[in-house]
Amino acid sequence: MTRLAAVGFVLAAAAFAQRAATYDRERKVTLKGAVTRIEWVNPHAFLFVNVRDAAGTVQNWAVEFGEPLELEKEGWKANALRIGDVVTVDAIPARGDRNQAFATSVVLTRTGKRLFVVPAQPAATTPGRQPAPRWPDGRVRLGAPPGKKGYWGPASASALVEETREKIAMNREGLLADLSDADRVAPFLPWAKAVYEYRQRTLLKDDPMARCLPPGGPRQFQAPNGFQFVEQRELGRILVLLGGGDRNWRVIYTDGRPQGEPDEVVRGYYGNSVGHWEGDTLVVDSIGYNEHFWMTNGGLPHTEALHLTERFSRPDFNTLKYQVKVDDPRTYTRPWTGGWTVAWVSDREIPEYFCEENAESTFIR
Amino acid sequence: MAGRWFARFLVLLAFLMLPVVAQQGHPLTGTWSGDWGATATQRAPITLVMDWDGKKVSGLINPGPDSIPIASVYVDVSNWTVRIEADTKDASGNAVHIAAEGRLEDLGSYHRTLTGTWRQGATKGDFKITRD
Repeated sequence: MTRLAAVGFVLAAAAFAQRAATYDRERKVTLKGAVTRIEWVNPHAFLFVNVRDAAGTVQNWAVEFGEPLELEKEGWKANALRIGDVVTVDAIPARGDRNQAFATSVVLTRTGKRLFVVPAQPAATTPGRQPAPRWPDGRVRLGAPPGKKGYWGPASASALVEETREKIAMNREGLLADLSDADRVAPFLPWAKAVYEYRQRTLLKDDPMARCLPPGGPRQFQAPNGFQFVEQRELGRILVLLGGGDRNWRVIYTDGRPQGEPDEVVRGYYGNSVGHWEGDTLVVDSIGYNEHFWMTNGGLPHTEALHLTERFSRPDFNTLKYQVKVDDPRTYTRPWTGGWTVAWVSDREIPEYFCEENAESTFIR
Repeated sequence: MAGRWFARFLVLLAFLMLPVVAQQGHPLTGTWSGDWGATATQRAPITLVMDWDGKKVSGLINPGPDSIPIASVYVDVSNWTVRIEADTKDASGNAVHIAAEGRLEDLGSYHRTLTGTWRQGATKGDFKITRD
């Protein structure tokens, strides 16, 4: 597997996230034709290809693929393709009858070179089991050790669900394989279950993150493009820098200040967070959330009463264990707990990505 | 002149492109405005403010000096039908009961709507309110 291919998967996976309402992953299409236009725009680049159908009619297809800035870093420039080049594209077509697709492979016919491919499995970047890095006083570091770089990348779960022994089948966007499993996802109040089922039935079309709103709550730790911790111990705070959304950040105060009063906290996407260490585990208490976001892939609802208790630990260098207790009595019948692990991405910075609402609508006719 | 109109068009376009921030919690929570009336021409503006406290939806009709407390809100989440009841008085001081029954449309939209029938005392009409 080439490095470009591996990067292609990460980028394509990131790009494909929150796009279930647009693309039909159950179908595939192969398009062959001449490139008529290349839109090398953030966050997703597009090719436009003239494809002749069985009846001989030429139709222009819009083909979405990776993130331009990251593709450029890997050596694929905007001029890798020229107008008029003939390509063969394997892709996931858009729902409905639009001539739009999401590329999984692009091959340049004149050279046979595969310019872009999504492999079946992501390339693992786990350079063996190492102990978690530590500060001079022995406390676990949540970020990269001095002289190194890296960030937290793929999450082991596609959505937050209540911890049980049974696995619930769902896809990468958090869409349940069987909607009747909704009862097993979380202990919903009736209205919340109905809202969750509505979001699932409508293929997450109203997902705020698809409109570039921030991934608040646990979702920030499963968003495409990862995150990293910056521990400012002298200032008594930890910054969480997020690659998802619009490269937002969150502040966790560790200076011993008390949590605010719920009625006085200014409500936001990332809440008001205070943390403390219990051994090698960072425990973070957060309140003060607004209702403008979905707290996980898949569309779990919440209200302003949401109270999260998150526990972060690093059992080894390459693994972050994330566990969260969800307490929202206006949405769930009781507090419940879920979580996942997150893999370390070595020797790389968080990809530069900026979500731009309706970016593609400016050039897709 | 054409430049001025174009500038106005750009301002309007910029306004329309402002990102809307959807309230994603309980679907009834928020401020709703619209009107009700017995005919298409006889309409009265209405504003409802509703909130979900985890057990019930409460709120006010036409907040302000003449506000009417909402007595009860029943939501059937199987089909998102809503029944709202309240009691007020007319100009003569006579008790007037308000009962509105409607259905939530486009649940995930910021500007979701609630439309249906509105009965106020002996007058029956229709109503449509949109979440602001």
